[in-house]
Amino acid sequence: MTTTHAALARRPGFATRFKWTLQDIATMTWRDLIRTWRQPEMLTFAVIMGVFFLLLFYYVFGGAIGAGTGVDYIQYLVPGIFVITTLTGAQQTGTGLATDLSQGVTDRFRSLPMSQMAVLGGRTIADALRNTISVVLVAIVGYMLGFRFVSIGAAIGAIVLSVGIGFSFSWMNAAIAAKVKSAEMVGMLSMFWLFPLMLASTVFTPAEQMPGWLQGFAKWQPISVVADAARKLSDGIPAGEAVLWSIVWILALLVVFVPIAAAVYRRG
Amino acid sequence: MTDRSSRDGVVGSASVAVSARNLGKSYGDTVAVRDLSFDARAGEVMGLLGPNGAGKTTTIKMLTTLLPIDSGSATIVGIDVAAQPDAVRRVIGLAGQFAAVDEKLTAQENLEMFGRLYKIPKTERTQRVDHLIDRFDMGEFADRIAETYSGGQRRRLDVVASLIASPPVLFLDEPTTGLDPRSRTELWDEIADLATQGTAVVLTTQYLDEADRLSDRIIIIDEGVVKASGTSAELKTSLERDVLEVHVVSAEDLDRAVEVAEQVASGVSSDSEDRLLQIPLTDGSSQSLAVLRQFDASDIPIDDFQLRRPTLDDVFLTLTATGGNR
Repeated sequence: MTTTHAALARRPGFATRFKWTLQDIATMTWRDLIRTWRQPEMLTFAVIMGVFFLLLFYYVFGGAIGAGTGVDYIQYLVPGIFVITTLTGAQQTGTGLATDLSQGVTDRFRSLPMSQMAVLGGRTIADALRNTISVVLVAIVGYMLGFRFVSIGAAIGAIVLSVGIGFSFSWMNAAIAAKVKSAEMVGMLSMFWLFPLMLASTVFTPAEQMPGWLQGFAKWQPISVVADAARKLSDGIPAGEAVLWSIVWILALLVVFVPIAAAVYRRG
Repeated sequence: MTDRSSRDGVVGSASVAVSARNLGKSYGDTVAVRDLSFDARAGEVMGLLGPNGAGKTTTIKMLTTLLPIDSGSATIVGIDVAAQPDAVRRVIGLAGQFAAVDEKLTAQENLEMFGRLYKIPKTERTQRVDHLIDRFDMGEFADRIAETYSGGQRRRLDVVASLIASPPVLFLDEPTTGLDPRSRTELWDEIADLATQGTAVVLTTQYLDEADRLSDRIIIIDEGVVKASGTSAELKTSLERDVLEVHVVSAEDLDRAVEVAEQVASGVSSDSEDRLLQIPLTDGSSQSLAVLRQFDASDIPIDDFQLRRPTLDDVFLTLTATGGNR
């Protein structure tokens, strides 16, 4: 063993390892952004998904709910669509990652002296950036339909929270993808969490219109909580408590799913 | 061959780059690798030769930290694989059976990405990427995305990607599978070059000509155990027999010819399309005469005959289960 090899065998200090991890995440994010950019059809559909939801729900439910309750429905709906948009974006983290993990390049990543977590981190961050574009697009189309933010700060706050909860769910899907390793399976499993979270929520209709037993879940599940915070921010209603609960949900989901995803991926 | 150390391909030398000792791996009840030991020195190509499912890829995966080692131990340039996988990953390069590069990135971008992940400083990394593209003649396709490449181009990028950090030890798992003959020969030259420059190369292959041509030493494995090891010449000598090849004039005589030859030798094989008999002989010259006299006496006309030294094929077929149990 030469001295160079002996030096390599030594484990670097914490500061160095931390810096390397950040570098690896940056490299993998760069890679996933290029990949996203080079699949223009996928990118287009992913980005217009939110606008599609907005138009669909606005024209299907808009008349009925708006007329019945006296609520300005576009003002009610748009912040919820932000969250639905990032949630479907999170689902694509799972399908994309499952495909990626089944390819040979993942074997090479595993044989490299890199943070293995960066493989998942790069993907979730790249998807969060893509989600940001989708949400901004929803806001623009919403504006054309009469939706208004009370201020720029409110706009930023609402968008950040929506992208944040999407990021948390990206990690949940990363864990699922690392476990099942098949895009079809990830797609099928997503029906079991995506639809309940989406429909049993206060995104499209207020909880008061639901049966009593469902109201508790519908009010407190993460999608409703973040949608509520985004709505209050947009409208300029005091939102402190709603924002706090949103942050609690975002962090709680990350605390649970980041380690699980990392462990499942590491096990191969 | 009977001596344990030579059976296992273990050498005692200070320049040992890869050392595997009694490696074992099971999947449930199936034993993939059993008690496998070998060494590879710097500047040497060590060939792991065996049929499909022999345990070659499992061995490579254990040595490159992709699979946990069930039993035994391994070191790479003195670093223990099980204890310090991160450190091992800094000193190895791996090119697998499947072109393990990002399909959506260009060759240039792939190499840049792997260079960054190895934490090679920017200036050095840029130089290294340019140098590799130049040296391995990838300029004409380095700016196209990898999914547009031919099989040969993709494989070349895969091997080059494993060289980005100039690792002292290189693992190549069936690097030429699926390549056309020309790309194969080119890749052979490049691998031989790397060894000449001091890299230890561990190469798996199921192609006998590849092992024969490239490897300084060969280990034949089958069903997860080492069947034989040595240089190509040593393995051929170890068979201790020559092969008499005889072409008979008429295919109809072939079965009768086998019977006649079996009176002198065992393990005779025949090929009706070529009207060819292959007769292994322990004492080449005198037994050849005996066989040929028998043909003459039995009225079997022959076109030609030759006595040849055994090839690696003969060794391989004799030792591996798929080649029959002689």
